[in-house]
Amino acid sequence: MKLSRRTRVAAAVAGAASIALLATACSTGGGEEGSSDEPITLTVTTFGTQGLDDLYAQYEADNPNITIKATNIDTGGNALTDWQTKQAAGAGLPDVQAVEEGWLSKVMQVSDSFTDLSEYGAEDTADQWVDWKVKQATDADGRIIGYGTDIGPEGLCFNGALFEAAGLPSDREGVAALFGGEDATWEKFFEVGKEYTDKTGKAFYDQSGFVWNSMVNQLPEGYYTADGELNVEGNKELEARWALLAEGAANGLSSAQTQWDWGGGKAFTDGSFATFVCPGWMLGVVKGQVEAGGGDASTGWDFADVFPGGAANWGGAFLTVPTTSKHPAEAADLAAFLTNAQSQVASFQAAGAFPSNIEAQSDAGVTGESDLTAFFNDAPIGEILAARAEGVVAQYKGPDDSVIQEQVFGPSVQELDSGKADGPTAWQHAIDLLNELVSE
Amino acid sequence: MTSTLTPSAETPTPTPRPAPAKQRPEFRRKLSRFDVKYSPYFYVAPFFVLFGLVGLFPLVYTFVVSLNDWNLLTGPGEWVGLENFTTELSSPLFWNSLFNTFSIFLLSAVPQLIAAVIIAAVLDQNLRAKTFWRLSVILPYIVTPVAVTLIFSNIFGEKYGLVNNMLDVIGLDPVMWKTETLPSHIAIATMVNWRWTGYNALILLAAMQAVPRDVHESAALDGAGAARRFFSITIPSIRPTLIFVIITATIGGLQIFTEPKLFNATSSIPGGPQRQYQTTVLYLWDLAFNRQEFGRASAVAWILFLIIVAFGLLNFWLSRRIASSEARSIKKRSSKRLARYRTQREAEIDTLVAVPGAFAPGETPIPLERDDDPDDRPGTTDKEGAR
Repeated sequence: MKLSRRTRVAAAVAGAASIALLATACSTGGGEEGSSDEPITLTVTTFGTQGLDDLYAQYEADNPNITIKATNIDTGGNALTDWQTKQAAGAGLPDVQAVEEGWLSKVMQVSDSFTDLSEYGAEDTADQWVDWKVKQATDADGRIIGYGTDIGPEGLCFNGALFEAAGLPSDREGVAALFGGEDATWEKFFEVGKEYTDKTGKAFYDQSGFVWNSMVNQLPEGYYTADGELNVEGNKELEARWALLAEGAANGLSSAQTQWDWGGGKAFTDGSFATFVCPGWMLGVVKGQVEAGGGDASTGWDFADVFPGGAANWGGAFLTVPTTSKHPAEAADLAAFLTNAQSQVASFQAAGAFPSNIEAQSDAGVTGESDLTAFFNDAPIGEILAARAEGVVAQYKGPDDSVIQEQVFGPSVQELDSGKADGPTAWQHAIDLLNELVSE
Repeated sequence: MTSTLTPSAETPTPTPRPAPAKQRPEFRRKLSRFDVKYSPYFYVAPFFVLFGLVGLFPLVYTFVVSLNDWNLLTGPGEWVGLENFTTELSSPLFWNSLFNTFSIFLLSAVPQLIAAVIIAAVLDQNLRAKTFWRLSVILPYIVTPVAVTLIFSNIFGEKYGLVNNMLDVIGLDPVMWKTETLPSHIAIATMVNWRWTGYNALILLAAMQAVPRDVHESAALDGAGAARRFFSITIPSIRPTLIFVIITATIGGLQIFTEPKLFNATSSIPGGPQRQYQTTVLYLWDLAFNRQEFGRASAVAWILFLIIVAFGLLNFWLSRRIASSEARSIKKRSSKRLARYRTQREAEIDTLVAVPGAFAPGETPIPLERDDDPDDRPGTTDKEGAR
């Protein structure tokens, strides 16, 4: 009696569960058929300020059967945590996922869990982007897993007022020429810096971390060789650049600021340093920091069409379609729309994200005047950035690239800035950490 | 009459009724016995089911993960046995994190508990606007740790922070709060203290208020000063609560995460550029989510779990020792009193026996005589006490 009763309950539970299973099976089955008129909800996860909100509305208006559910995560770092967790769990990923260049190396480890966009015409439209952007989004098997949104070509921010006070040229062209114009080198950069520091007793750049990142990222091969071999120990090119950085820090060129903090922006207004490495998106950061620190356009920041060591890129994002998406075709179409020329111009105007789309780069909406150009002493920011994007190489990023950049060299860079260690010692510490942190 | 009514079910009365009629009461009885025996388990089951789901299962699963070379993104790799544990136990970064955790824990727990006891003692006095003072003490606890950390992170800024500005005003060198080990530990301990001192003070206050006032009063009448009363009455009486507070502070202290994580939120390495204040939980998080070493992170989680269990056992042992030492002292006191009482009684009886006829010879004098045996008495009282 007792037993049979229990089994009856169990049967009822099992029955309910199987009905539920059936129901979900039905609903997933129904979704896959997906004719173009069927109402579809696409989920999109982005981060930071990508300026896509108006574009969603436009896309929904053009495609009445599609509803977009967008989530924007405040920073790239948090978006990484979000993506990683969902990727690891194997569930919860959106139909369109924004991926940042900084964690692209992690994404590439699991590139097979992203849809190959070539199946949806990515190869035909590939020439609308700068070539290295497409290369970055192509995995080892030649699959294109992301559409490029913005890029971060690097120019040099400088404070005209401080340059003038130090007796250096203070206009954009003069400054570009001072650092060597097209042939600007890091040697020249540190030379000018030493001159400035000797004259004024002030630091030249905010801290060594960003400088080091730029120095490494602009090389054809960084912490890894193009074949994916770890390439730090005994890398003469890196060691030479490290020596320059160490000498600069020892000469007091670094203001040893806390990166991303800068004393709540005060360091940008009190003359602590006179130059700053500026990818396109960083211009908005500089403006924000100066304003937070109580300054404005008269603080003297300007943007020069020059970068030591040649073209360099820092950051930028891609829109990808995880294979877990139930509507890959529609998701790919949305991603393509969000990254086409008009959309990139719109998102540049909304958020200052410099387009990776070649046509958009020369659009009047990008090259024209804005709040940002007004802040940077009327610098033609769009034109300068387009020029700075030329010649960037898509460096191979190994799986532990971000770990090496942040955890291996981060402490050593800080040692240089605080004067706790000289160049060779700090380099050795980095190598020790590398062996500790990165296996094989 | 009554006896014929009740046994109808159990005695084999020759009724012509078929089996089912007999079975029903049988079933009902079984059901009620089942109810009495097993339903309590069903009542407590929800907790255990929940605990199994969110407590035990993750614990076991974490252990399984820790036995694999598990990458966060690419998933389970090879089975490596206890290799993750040996790697971690030989990793200088793990020991560094453990050192940081204990250093911050000691720097926070010790001053915090001392301050909490003092604050509780002050609040225990007859103050005006009692509720106001108590509320003010608990206020920091209401603020979320994230907000606390953001504010303190600003205050302890190296170049533009309030503390260094003030040090500068009085002509002292700035302290490198975010890049040197000891200052950073002090800064983080300050945040913990700010948030938790009031909370602990209130718990201790509750314990202090449970101390009988008349004990204080009689001590005061006997001439004990405030300090003497505090150390000889208040502190011993709140000892169990103190142990509780110490243990919760230990568990919290060993799992500290938010404060070091956000103290220098922009640092490329969580816990300071040279891992000066990377605590064990922060190290675990870094391993799992920055370095994708999920297996090793799980191993660290387990090691930390074992450390906390060890502390729990230490607490158990300590509190038992304290309890038994208290019982022992009470026993000693009562046996002394008993002895005094008995000698007094004996003396009385002796005087009574001395008066012939006044005392009827019975059994009473005999046990008294037995009890009087000096070897026997402490033994029996001890046994009684133990029971």
